Amino acid sequence: MISRKVILTGSFGVGKTSLFRRFIKGTFSEKYITTIGVKVDKKVVEIRGEEVSILLWDIAGEVRQDKVPKSFFLGASAIIYVFDLTRPSTYKNIGVDMKILNDILPDAIIKVVGNKEDLILKEGTDNVIDIAALDKIKKEVAIHVDATTSAKTGDNVEQLFSNLAEEFIA
Amino acid sequence: MVATSHKKQDKELLNQLQSILLKEERVAIERLQETIDDPVILSEKIRPIIEERMLFFKENFPKEFKVTVDKMIEVKLKASQEEILDVIYPVMGKMIKKYVNHQIQMLKDSIDESIKKTFFSRGILWRLKNSLLGITVSDQVIHDLKDYQIEEIYVIQRNSGLLFGSASTENTIDQDVIAGMLTAIKSFVEDAFKREREDLEMIQYGTYKILLQNFYSYYIAIAISGSMSSTEREGLANELLGFAEEELNTLPAEPDQIFEKVSISLREKFIK
Repeated sequence: MISRKVILTGSFGVGKTSLFRRFIKGTFSEKYITTIGVKVDKKVVEIRGEEVSILLWDIAGEVRQDKVPKSFFLGASAIIYVFDLTRPSTYKNIGVDMKILNDILPDAIIKVVGNKEDLILKEGTDNVIDIAALDKIKKEVAIHVDATTSAKTGDNVEQLFSNLAEEFIA
Repeated sequence: MVATSHKKQDKELLNQLQSILLKEERVAIERLQETIDDPVILSEKIRPIIEERMLFFKENFPKEFKVTVDKMIEVKLKASQEEILDVIYPVMGKMIKKYVNHQIQMLKDSIDESIKKTFFSRGILWRLKNSLLGITVSDQVIHDLKDYQIEEIYVIQRNSGLLFGSASTENTIDQDVIAGMLTAIKSFVEDAFKREREDLEMIQYGTYKILLQNFYSYYIAIAISGSMSSTEREGLANELLGFAEEELNTLPAEPDQIFEKVSISLREKFIK
């Protein structure tokens, strides 16, 4: 079994802890409790018969990545940069943030994830995602978005981590 | 036809002439061939030359190759910085600890001396009994407390917080998560107080302590219950340095093998 450290980072309130909980425990809570410092947990993912242990660090949100203690990133194999699809302020600095992350961990895999897709709904519906609106937001983001997720419904969450695990064993 | 016959005769004459003129050379070549083919004769001939060159090499090595060797060492040191530091760390640690320990012992002796002088009239019998047994006042106070026990021990990769190995007296929660959280706390404290090149060395709650012994690319965390005197702590630190030197300098390549090897060694050495 291989073990890899993965960091969840991004601005505050984008749903990092919700993604963390959804992935680790398969649960979701509407209650917002801000993360202080960092929380660490683990999940083993199986890819084609091979086990990959993902040690996930959920870091307290910061408006800019240069505010996050650098030592939290050290030794990480991947970074999941999360932004809120409904709040442009959470992705307007994404280019600068990516440069900071690339400077700290030049060899790490970086995934850019837009969360809360369950809130981008077609008018007049309460559970149909507006794909056109989602694409429009993705175009507004200065860099390529690897995935859109919903910690609330669990949409694409497992897939996101499976893809990462796949890249770890590749 | 006549021309061909003339050519043949010329060739034979040339051969005869060659045999006469090159007779000595041919004999010399044959001897040389014999020398080359026979390892014993060849060895006899070559040995003095090799020995002479070896001697020359030995005497002139520093002069001829100093720059090249220096360059090679420099490149090797740069390339294997982590491995070298891992080897040097425990040795350096031992030397520094020995010196610090000596200084602390001197300080302790001086405090004992002061206490002896200050409270001469009180507790004379108690001190008399202890001194007969060779126990100092400070040691007696510490020994009155409960003995310590190692509850859990972890070897953790310094930056990532990934676990190299662990051992415990009982089944605790996921040890990977403990290692990760300990690393997160350690990183947080070290970053928050911005003390460069200083490491968090202990976390304490109640009588439970987590001692952290730092090495270059990993650290060892030991959860301890009960009280520990400074001498016992010193002894444990030395044991950890020895353990690092013996067990952690050469680790297997496979992650699973690393975990198994380190965990078994930790259990055998530290968990009673």
